[in-house]
Amino acid sequence: MKDSAKELQPGTTAAFAGMHQWLQRGLIVCLVALVLEGALTFPLLAIWYGWPTLSLQQICSEFEKIRFNDESRECKYPYPLFAPAEGAGQTTAQDTWGIQPRPLYQRVEFRGLIHRRDARLARLAAAAAAGAGERAEQPAPAPARPVAAPQPPQN
Amino acid sequence: MKNPVISEQDRRRRRSMIVFQIVAYGFLLTMFLIQLHMASVRNW
Amino acid sequence: MTTNTMAAGAGAYDTHQQRSRAAQWRADKWMMVGVFFMGTAVLGLIGLPFFLRGLSLQMRAQKAGFTVRPIMVTLIGYLVAVDSALNSLGWALDLIGNHTLLARVFLMAWGNMFDGGYFWHYNELWIGGASAPGEKAWVVALLPLMFSMRIAAAIAFLQMKRWGQQWLVVTCWFGVIAWAGYVTNMTIFADVRYAGVVFPVVGWWLYDIFYITPFLAIPYLHTVNREIFSD
Repeated sequence: MKDSAKELQPGTTAAFAGMHQWLQRGLIVCLVALVLEGALTFPLLAIWYGWPTLSLQQICSEFEKIRFNDESRECKYPYPLFAPAEGAGQTTAQDTWGIQPRPLYQRVEFRGLIHRRDARLARLAAAAAAGAGERAEQPAPAPARPVAAPQPPQN
Repeated sequence: MKNPVISEQDRRRRRSMIVFQIVAYGFLLTMFLIQLHMASVRNW
Repeated sequence: MTTNTMAAGAGAYDTHQQRSRAAQWRADKWMMVGVFFMGTAVLGLIGLPFFLRGLSLQMRAQKAGFTVRPIMVTLIGYLVAVDSALNSLGWALDLIGNHTLLARVFLMAWGNMFDGGYFWHYNELWIGGASAPGEKAWVVALLPLMFSMRIAAAIAFLQMKRWGQQWLVVTCWFGVIAWAGYVTNMTIFADVRYAGVVFPVVGWWLYDIFYITPFLAIPYLHTVNREIFSD
């Protein structure tokens, strides 16, 4: 400690050398953490929510369906400039309203959006098959697709 | 503490900075604990 | 004789100053490139080696006896810039780019995972973006005001300007207010923020705690010897 005056940074007096040392450690931790977070956030979020099995636009659509509790919603992209906000005036979202509103959507599990989408497509396919069957003897109802494999968007 | 030639002003300044750090982190910690408690009660 | 040595001394001093400035600039070039990438979030890992190389160059110059910026000033200045850039990125997406695919995938994903304020009724307000109670007001107050001021102050601080130090003090105290108000808002409207979220509470805190830069900068800014900053 005797030579500490020599090692002190300009601006740091002996009285605050220890404090500045601690602050420096904290700053380095924050810096490295922010960089790692920044770099990993986008890829890890994408993987959790089903990319690359789902395209970004499909993920966007699933989010919209969950958010507004409306399976008929699709993510419009590119969104028209100066159009009203996509959710403006919606009446489908589910909440327990009150002074502390509480949303009723459920937690999304790891790659849960994929299962969600597959289940919906299977439902739609089944409904279409049933509808086709009723309508008269068509040359074999639209075959139920193997929905487990990812399909290109149906719209 | 180690250095006896620290002026009284520096001593006070250091103390106030340490108090600031404790208050600031203490506030954040309190908020965190409240939220943690809510999480355990409300089944989010 | 005296005049001679004085002239020689002055010459040596000038050379020393010049070479110090050159060494500092060389280190700064590396760090600026690093911070540019680190501020984009995604490319952060590209930027970090650049930044660390610049930092080590500066430390080496200091060891060699050149008068360069204190390490703490360098760290705080650049970290404040990175912190502000990352915050601005997210909030500019929310404020202006809320109907871009980027916002509606990644901001929604982030919100769905950590903070329902960025998922709940998103893009339903006439202005678009976050609808959680109070959230939009924080975005407007902090993004165009606090963060832009803080980046300006950080640049002047890195140039060792007195106003840079002073404005960093001001905007870092802003930062304390922002943290206190924001976190209290989240606690009060906790149902909106955390219900149905993948990693409630602990996730948000783990993710966001590293943005406490102002808390670490304030004690330094108040205890640094102010003589090192120039008008």
